[in-house]
Amino acid sequence: MKLLIGQILPYITVTLFTLGVLYRLGRWVGPRIVHNITLSPWPKTNTEVAIRVGSEAFLFRNLFRFDKALWFGAIMMHLALLNIIGGHVVGFGFLGEQFALIPGLGISPELSTEMSDMLGTVFGILLFVALLYLLFRRLTLTPVKLVSKPSDNLWLIYLIVLVGVGNIMRLFHDFGVGYEQVRDYIVALALFQPVTHMELLNNGFFLTHYLLVQILLIVFPYSKLMHLFGMFAERWIVNRVYKDPAPGIPNIDVAAARRAGIGIPSDDAAEEGV
Amino acid sequence: MPEYKGMVQPVRATPDEMRKIFAEPVPDEQKPEKAIEYLDEIRKKFRSFVVAMESCVKCGQCAENCHTYLGTRDPNNIPANRAELIRKIYRRYFTLEGRWFGKLVGAEDISLDVIEQWYSYFYQCSQCRRCAHVCPFGIDTCEVTFIGRQLLHWLGITPKLHAAVGGAMEKVGNHTGLPKPGIVDTLEFMSEEIMDEFGVEVEFPVDKPDSDIIYIPSSADFLLNPYTLMGAGMFFTYIGANWCIPSNVTEAGNFGLLFDQYYTQRGNVNRLLNAAHELNVKKIVWGECGHGWRAAKMYVPSLADRPVRWPLTHVHDEAAELIRRGELKLNPENNPEPVTLHDPCNYVRACGLNDNMRTIMNAVTVDFREMNPHGVDNFCCGGGSGILFDDPEMYQRRIQLSQKKADQVRATGVGKDGNGILCAPCSICKAQLYPMVEEHELGVHVHGLIDLLAKALVWK
Amino acid sequence: MPCLTVNGVDIELDEDGFMIDPDLWNEDVARAFADSEGISELNEDHWKVINYLRDYFKQYHIAPMVRKLCQETSCSLKYIYDLFPSGPAKGACKLAGLPKPTGCV
Repeated sequence: MKLLIGQILPYITVTLFTLGVLYRLGRWVGPRIVHNITLSPWPKTNTEVAIRVGSEAFLFRNLFRFDKALWFGAIMMHLALLNIIGGHVVGFGFLGEQFALIPGLGISPELSTEMSDMLGTVFGILLFVALLYLLFRRLTLTPVKLVSKPSDNLWLIYLIVLVGVGNIMRLFHDFGVGYEQVRDYIVALALFQPVTHMELLNNGFFLTHYLLVQILLIVFPYSKLMHLFGMFAERWIVNRVYKDPAPGIPNIDVAAARRAGIGIPSDDAAEEGV
Repeated sequence: MPEYKGMVQPVRATPDEMRKIFAEPVPDEQKPEKAIEYLDEIRKKFRSFVVAMESCVKCGQCAENCHTYLGTRDPNNIPANRAELIRKIYRRYFTLEGRWFGKLVGAEDISLDVIEQWYSYFYQCSQCRRCAHVCPFGIDTCEVTFIGRQLLHWLGITPKLHAAVGGAMEKVGNHTGLPKPGIVDTLEFMSEEIMDEFGVEVEFPVDKPDSDIIYIPSSADFLLNPYTLMGAGMFFTYIGANWCIPSNVTEAGNFGLLFDQYYTQRGNVNRLLNAAHELNVKKIVWGECGHGWRAAKMYVPSLADRPVRWPLTHVHDEAAELIRRGELKLNPENNPEPVTLHDPCNYVRACGLNDNMRTIMNAVTVDFREMNPHGVDNFCCGGGSGILFDDPEMYQRRIQLSQKKADQVRATGVGKDGNGILCAPCSICKAQLYPMVEEHELGVHVHGLIDLLAKALVWK
Repeated sequence: MPCLTVNGVDIELDEDGFMIDPDLWNEDVARAFADSEGISELNEDHWKVINYLRDYFKQYHIAPMVRKLCQETSCSLKYIYDLFPSGPAKGACKLAGLPKPTGCV
């Protein structure tokens, strides 16, 4: 089990994930944008496009406008997720001392580690709660129930389990792993060194969490999780700059036409002295 | 009675009617495999389709924002589910997860039942794009129904109404089958009516060479919307434009957009470009038609078989510009009745006409009341994409589909005294709303926007 | 294909009950249509509208604008609905043997 999940599978995971995503994105890039199906009102400059797409992708603008409850659940979930993923990368990379590197704030490495711990715990719980809320919506609200397929519910349950295991590792010290252990492990994997002797692979919670993550990454390109890229692909199609042709009917002089009384029956025009 | 296993369907065109527009119906036993073949071609060509298929996360936001679901409460009228009707087939045949996990990911095998389901639901969508407007990703279900209807057309399944319009477009270049003598006679009648009612002399030149602009009216104006036609003539005369109407393409609409974007839609694009070339004009000005304006503004460049050297603008763009410059003398008191504006979907969500319509409206009326929601958030009239079917089942559906719109109009209070005006500057909207305002007893008359502008013009 | 038999002649109709071949029309056909439309008797005004529609169609191969129909026959739109409950397009035009109007109408 340790060998499979800890030594062999990671390489398979990275390969399948990378090739899978490239393959699926390739199927999007090949077909063209045949007609202009932009939505109006359209942005006038590329900066406006960036602001619009950014506000949709990172602030969930449309959700906010039309369904505040869903917006709240969705943004809490995604923000927590972003912070956790970022925290995994930065936290393990800098052993929790990343905040001490920010100049001028005077944060000691010890304080930074404590902050990392705390942020990890908080966002882990937030993510868990947000996922529960989204699952609750999917099971109880009629419109959402009507559009859901089994896989939609399964994904939420899967993520809840995955995040739950992660939270257990965070909340119960005995079940957790240290930053240094993970960093050493990842570095060894990257350098193709043997890892099966490492201590953290004896931790059942770690193995579970790690396996669930890897399965998620393998399945990622073949699931709706591709909406990560879909957001930008779709917005690239429907939110674009469009230049209207200038208005103005050629060769007209409205004032002159009115002075000349165009349209006014000829006897009236004669009266006006034209 | 057009119904298939409990699903309402529009009456479909006969094989002869399909052949008139160069579509050869596929026999039933071959339809499923042909459907997959055509779907394969589509998915390799249209990025908009593939991204829509693979990006939906089923958040359900589109449901309560689609007038078809609000009016019928039919689960398949939820935009995400409407797209799912074709997504389930796409997943099954073109994705690994569909092939391996089937029902788990909502994949399904193709069958004649599925194709009939497509026919029922893709023709209840009015292609208004409100779902795209509210979707967090901007997924355009309208694009999915465009493609769905195109597939059905290639299989030989098209409503009689659309195929008949296609046939008329093929024959005379407009939707109502209006031949040139009829055009000329009606325009002469319009000149007489304008003189009687407004006391001004307006001529409608037809096919006048070396005009500066051609005006493309909706052919429905020639039958049902006299004030829109009169209004356009009065506007162009008032400003002293050197204009004419081309008899070969007297059609602001283009039903090809709605069911056959290959052959039928291209046909009238070519007619338009030919007319502009022959009459040697400098600009093309479009009349009041929602889907037609989108088909012209956004699709002419990509469908044209030659460089397009004529700018296309809408008569509202031109009128609004002249109003902003203060060049039109207007008396809004000529439109004293309470007015509300129904924003045609294609104008506001596909063509950017929201502001120009309001510039005109505010200048020509005294009691203008906005609906709620309005502008780009507005709801469809229920007749969009030509689903103006009048066989009994589909007619009842139309009443349901316009329920949301009726509620909006009632809420403005313009119809309280029975003299309200519902301004709907699009021919399909007018055709839908003329009967629907009676069915819903709203106490309003339906008018175009140019109608109101013309009434407000001060000639002396 | 639905069919109407008048004086022994089979007249083909489309799904909405409109004549496929306008040349087969005669006054008996109009009376037969009137029955199916729930019009008990065709009076002078009915015939005025029907004949105007037929003449216009023969000349211009299209139905006239509704407004023009009302003017030329001196019948208000409301009165035309009284005469032909289905209205000028679906009622009067049908009885006059015109093909069903297509498009946004």
